[in-house]
Parts: sequence; C-alpha cells; structure tokens
Amino acid sequence: MKMKSAIRRPFATGLMVTLLGVACLQAQAHSPASGSGKPQVELKCVSYGKGPMLDCVVDVKRAEGTPLDGAQLMLGAMMPSMPMAHTIKPMKAAPTGAPGQYKATLELEMLGVWAVDVDISGPLREKVSRNLLVHECKGNDRCAATPAKPGDMGPMRHGTGHRH
Amino acid sequence: MSELGGLISAHAVGLASDMAIMSMLALSAYLMLLVGRVSFGQQAFFGLGAYAAGVMSVMFQAPLALALAGGAACGALCSWLLALPTLRLSGLHYAVATLAFGEMARIALGGWHWQRPGPDGPVGPAGIEGFRDIRWLLENDVSPGEYLGLTLLVLVAVLALLMRLERLRLGVGLRMIGQDDMLAAAQGIACDRLRLLTAAMAGGLAGLGGGLYAHRTTYIEPAVFDPMLGVHAVGYALLGGLGTAFGPLLGVMLDLGLLDASRLFPGWRMVIFGGLVALFLRWRPRGLLDETLVHHLSHTFHTRSPFSNRQ
Repeated sequence: MKMKSAIRRPFATGLMVTLLGVACLQAQAHSPASGSGKPQVELKCVSYGKGPMLDCVVDVKRAEGTPLDGAQLMLGAMMPSMPMAHTIKPMKAAPTGAPGQYKATLELEMLGVWAVDVDISGPLREKVSRNLLVHECKGNDRCAATPAKPGDMGPMRHGTGHRH
Repeated sequence: MSELGGLISAHAVGLASDMAIMSMLALSAYLMLLVGRVSFGQQAFFGLGAYAAGVMSVMFQAPLALALAGGAACGALCSWLLALPTLRLSGLHYAVATLAFGEMARIALGGWHWQRPGPDGPVGPAGIEGFRDIRWLLENDVSPGEYLGLTLLVLVAVLALLMRLERLRLGVGLRMIGQDDMLAAAQGIACDRLRLLTAAMAGGLAGLGGGLYAHRTTYIEPAVFDPMLGVHAVGYALLGGLGTAFGPLLGVMLDLGLLDASRLFPGWRMVIFGGLVALFLRWRPRGLLDETLVHHLSHTFHTRSPFSNRQ
C-alpha cells in the first residue's frame, strides 16, 4: 500500500506538471511575422534498371516566381521507416540548361518509399524533402516515382506524399 | 577534383551527423540495458523530443539551446511517467510494454494537429503529414558542418557525463541492479528510485537526440519513429558492448560507419547486421566492449576501471 501511494503521488504530480506546461505553451504560442521568401521547389523522378536508379529533375523558383539559376543542389535519399540507418550517398545536381532546372541520378538500394531530399545552397538556402514510392519497372521501362500515400510503407505505418 | 572533395565532405558530414544523433539513441537504450531493462520504446522519446523541440523552435521562436533542452525535458518526463506504471515489469513483459507505448506514441503523433499561420503557410504538427518547416538552421545560416560540430560537442558532453557517472556509486548501483536487483536491494540500493532516475535520464537523452534530428532534417513525421529505430538502438548497444558508454558508439560505427557507408554488402547489410546481433547474443551477450574486456583494457593502460575494487 505504501509503495502504491509512493508511485501514485509522483505520477499524479508529473501528469499535472505536464498538463500545466502544455497549457502554458499553448497560451503563449504566437504566429511568426509574414514574408520569409521561401523558394518553390518541384521534384519529378523516374526509376529504371537494377538498383533501381532514380533520375530526378528539380525545378526551383524564387518566392516571386522567377527561375533560380546558379544554385548548388545536392540530392540525397533515405528510407523514412529507417531514418539515419538507410541513406544513400548524396549527388550534386547539374543544370539542364532550362531556366531554374537541375537534374541528378540517385542509385537506390531497393524498391519502396524513399524520402528524396533536395538541399539548395548558393544564392539562397533551402531544404526540401518528398516521399516517393519507387515501383518495380519491367525490362528497360522507366516508371514515374509517385508521391507516397499513407499505407505505402506497410500495414500500420503512416507515410506522406508531400513533405517539406 | 574539388567538386569530388565537396561531394565526399557533404556525404561525410551527413553520415557523421547521423552517427552522432543515432549514438544518443543508442546510449539511451544502453542506459536502460544497464539496469536490466530491454526497451523497444526509446524511439518514442526520441520522437516526442523531436516534436517538442520543433514546437518550441518554430511556434515559440525559442533559441536552439532552449528548444533542445525542451526536447530533452519532454523525453525525460514522458519516460519517467512510463517508468512509474511499468516499475514492476521485467523481461519480456517490460519489452512488450515499451514497444506498445512506442507505437501508441507514434500513432498519437499521427493524430496531433496544432498549426498556426506562418509566413509561408501554416506551421506546426499536421498529423500524418508530419511537422515541416523547422527552419532554425536555414534562418540562422548554420551550415551542416557547423551543426555537426554542435552535435559532436553535445555527444562528447553526454559521454563525459556518462563516463563520470559510471565511476560514481550511482553507476555501480545501476550495474548491480542490472545484474541482480534482489541482491542490489539487499545491499541497500534503492532499486525503484534508481530505475526511475535511469528511465528519466534515458528518455532525456533520446529526447535530446530527437531535438537535434528535427533541426538537422527540418522536418519530422510519425513514420520516422518506427519500432525499427528502437530495435536498432538496442542492437547497437548490444553489439558495441555494455561495459562502457563507448560500446553503443562502437555499435553505431560498425553498422552505419562500416557496413552502410562502405557499401561492402549492398542489399545484404540489414541481414548481416541482424546476423551479427544474433551471433553476439549467443557468443558474447554483453557485446564487444563488455565489462571483462573493459577491465582488462583499464588494467593494461593503468587507468581506473569502474569494475575494479574501490575503497
């Protein structure tokens, strides 16, 4: 009985402190000022061959809508269900010649949901990530990697198709 | 050539950052293993810490140090709260309870919506869509290399604290509880209190790692805090060894630094890692750097071992 009360008391105190803390934080939350000028990033990838390989094209525009040229882009990927322990070597994206467009090829280790990261530096800094479902492609076909949906990572898993 | 160098360094910085952050989680699992608890729920505290740090940084404009401290405090508090009702559990029952809590926390984070208008749209946790725009590094123009430096600094501080703790009576008490809690209690060690303290420390460490992770990647989502993350953390601690706090780091280095980075066994890495853990559990259950080896090494290099006789 003594032990039970010794456990209950700190449990109740801890719970009350937690609730109080969350309430205080909620009350103090504020909205940041507007107008940070975040660039718009569009990522399209197709998979092919063994590995599989993933060809990605990135279109980058400044916040006002003009194409962003002269930036350094690094593309990397990791499996969201195994963060930090399942990553692939990042590749530098090269300009395609089209305004604000860059491309890179990644060599993945397996099919499934991959979070493709686009790290932008140079005129501005930005980091964007998209969850893509990489399908199996027959023969020499090239298949579009589609935005991953909840459930694509298996039962009871939650994945997203569009992350920043 | 310089382009290649830049690419390698970007990869090396990313890998080193991952290894340092994963080491925090592995150390958190190591602390629990020290007191004889196999926890498959440390990823939950990592995730809760990541969300707490992200909320403080993005929605309250807290400085990074405060956000990380908030993440650690959140992890510590949640771990302590979980430790209270599971104090009487052990072995398989405790492992299943922590696994269940981990999944409960992950699914709860998937249902947590708390967004406020931001400069480029709403910010804050958005259920299974995750929590994006944790832009502290981008807004403060902190390079990945500089952030790696900070992460390593935190890891070294944590290691120094743990190494110090292992030389104190407290550290010896933790190991005694892990070996035989009845005997430890008979020696006058307050097992329940020390287990609660250890759970809070382990949760705090996982939460701190989560905060560092959230700010490094700039986004988090519940899918990231999968049970596999927790299983790996336990695996790293078991593989590296329970004799010293360097053990879990060795486990991380073996898997992420050797097997993953070298691409020696493409496609087979996880099979090899799992096989290694199984072999170690059979032939060297306390890992590479177990207590006996640490004692021998300390004796060889004439340093005081935490396992040597003390006054």
